[in-house]
Amino acid sequence: MMRVAWAWMRGAGGDRAAQSRSHETGAWIRAVYWKETLEAFRDKRSLLVLVVLPALIMPVVTLGIPYLEQRQAHMIRTTTPEVAVQGDAPNLIHLAYTSKLITPVHTADVNKALKERRVLAVLELPPKFESLVARDVQPHVGVLYDASNPESVAARARVVDLISRYSQTVVARRLIARRINPKDLLPVVLDERNVATQRQLSGLLLASLLPFFIAMWAVVGGMSLAVDEAAGEKERGTLESLLVTPPSREGIVVGKFLSVLTASVGAVVVVVVAMMVSLRWGYPYVLHTSEKLDVSLPVGTAIVMLGVAVLFAALMSAVQLAMSIYSKSPREAQQFITPLYFITVLPALAVQYITEWQGLTWAYVLPVLNTFFGFRELLLGTTNWGHLVLASVSSAFYAALAVELAIVLMSRESVIFRT
Amino acid sequence: MSVTPQLRQTGQTEAGDGQRLLVEARNLQKKFKSYHAVRGVSFTCYAGEVFGLLGPNGAGKTTTIRMLTTILRPTAGTARIAGHDVTRDPEAVRRSIGVLPENAGVYGRLSGREAIRYAGRLYGLGGPGLEQRIVEIADALELTTHLDRLTDTYSKGMKQKVNVARALIHNPPVVFLDEPTSGLDVFSARSVRDFVLRFKAEGRCVVLSTHMMEEAERLCDRVAIIAGGRIRAEGDLAALKAETGKDLEEIFMTMVGQSIVT
Repeated sequence: MMRVAWAWMRGAGGDRAAQSRSHETGAWIRAVYWKETLEAFRDKRSLLVLVVLPALIMPVVTLGIPYLEQRQAHMIRTTTPEVAVQGDAPNLIHLAYTSKLITPVHTADVNKALKERRVLAVLELPPKFESLVARDVQPHVGVLYDASNPESVAARARVVDLISRYSQTVVARRLIARRINPKDLLPVVLDERNVATQRQLSGLLLASLLPFFIAMWAVVGGMSLAVDEAAGEKERGTLESLLVTPPSREGIVVGKFLSVLTASVGAVVVVVVAMMVSLRWGYPYVLHTSEKLDVSLPVGTAIVMLGVAVLFAALMSAVQLAMSIYSKSPREAQQFITPLYFITVLPALAVQYITEWQGLTWAYVLPVLNTFFGFRELLLGTTNWGHLVLASVSSAFYAALAVELAIVLMSRESVIFRT
Repeated sequence: MSVTPQLRQTGQTEAGDGQRLLVEARNLQKKFKSYHAVRGVSFTCYAGEVFGLLGPNGAGKTTTIRMLTTILRPTAGTARIAGHDVTRDPEAVRRSIGVLPENAGVYGRLSGREAIRYAGRLYGLGGPGLEQRIVEIADALELTTHLDRLTDTYSKGMKQKVNVARALIHNPPVVFLDEPTSGLDVFSARSVRDFVLRFKAEGRCVVLSTHMMEEAERLCDRVAIIAGGRIRAEGDLAALKAETGKDLEEIFMTMVGQSIVT
């Protein structure tokens, strides 16, 4: 890679022999690139992975899952859960009905009823509960619920709320009896205001989604091409015919690398566009709360993100191509590349939980992680250009190293004829 | 057995009859870790000549061809193709040769025309000149009517013709054919053999690797019998037969049998 770049730089300098050499290398790279890209366009599997899958999956992921989540939350919020009440407490039961927090039911075997989900929680009251309260004794009440069932967890919260409200009425009654204003127990009233802008809220949402999908499709987008262009050539018996032609190993590898990179970046662009379209125009129709959230990505931010994503995709493409060159067959290449997918996606998920690393200079030279810290800064509007330059330069360096590795592997007899 | 290698003097560029020396291998050796695949192969081949490398599977024919076509680097020895050293100037060698490797495949999602055009571009050809050359070569190979179909839909013989076209697109003086008729039906094999004779008539130097004696007898001017990585016999086909009083298959069996014993 570096040798190719050097040859081109010398060619631009004016030395006629170097110019001719660089022109020739450029022609080889173009020939290999166009052939590989043409074959990829004619491969239905590539088109499925590059265009159809992202276009179908992204709306489902960005809208479908939040919709189901919201639907369940709405159901829990609007339904009054049935709770078995053990013990006698007419005032508490009355408050339960009037507040509509729970629907009290009587059942013989409460544990069995809870297990069979006939009731969602059980409220256990001690004997003569309200007499104890009236005599200022502090009785203990119990709540049984099933933590593995979200509806039961919600019913528990309703029971806690009911007991809290019941306690407040008792406290108020006692204070009034002692001629004390209940408001005296609340000397300070807290007013909350959210100062986050629409841009920041939108950025937070995008920061939790975009890096993950960019990481995923940067690998998946180029995978089938990388496998086909090296291990596939070995299996089809076309690699030897290619290696006996004049192009240098550098010319061949760089041409193949650029076609893998094109697919990888293409897939990332399709994913980002599909996601933005879903979020911007799909959210208001599908989700009730989203009308207030203006999901958008400013053009400047999008361009810088694309630049950072291209360098990241370059690293992924070069590593995949190197693995494919080393592999004996497409099947082995798939086996090598699959762990790369997890190695890439995990940091993209982890980055939102290690925010204390954000801002540390060394974090922006760590391969893969540097890109996601950069994305996070861009999306949250806390961009530090020094960090972005560091992340971009280090990614470009790692990508160049990986291309160099691919060239070295392509030049080794033991790799080309590995059986 | 009186058959002995009859090598011409290495380093000479023309045979006594004025033929141009195009392939010259001198003591070529190749070792893969502890396995010695080729143990000192020397031969020459001239313009307008078909030189046969005969041997059983695993004899070292393909390794020898791979060294001559710059895919493998010799462990020892030297070779020159059209005057260029295979280790010092591999790119110049690759420009001078057309190669049909054993079991060569095709790019299934390219049409025949696109596959040949791709090969042309790799040799630095382009523009109307390349298109004209594609038409000529397809015409000669009787591929014209199928040229714009994807090669995935071709028969095995047609795929082999596309590979022949790819190897010849730059009009090379030297052609290496490694088991070119392997797996082909009678008609396709016949077509490929006709082409070998045509290459010869055009003045090219053809190095043909085969284990089919009948094919070698029909096509080759000179042969080298290779077994266990060594040349066991080499020379003019007619002279070899006259000298031994045996047909090529018998000579081959004797030489290969000796190599197994030794």
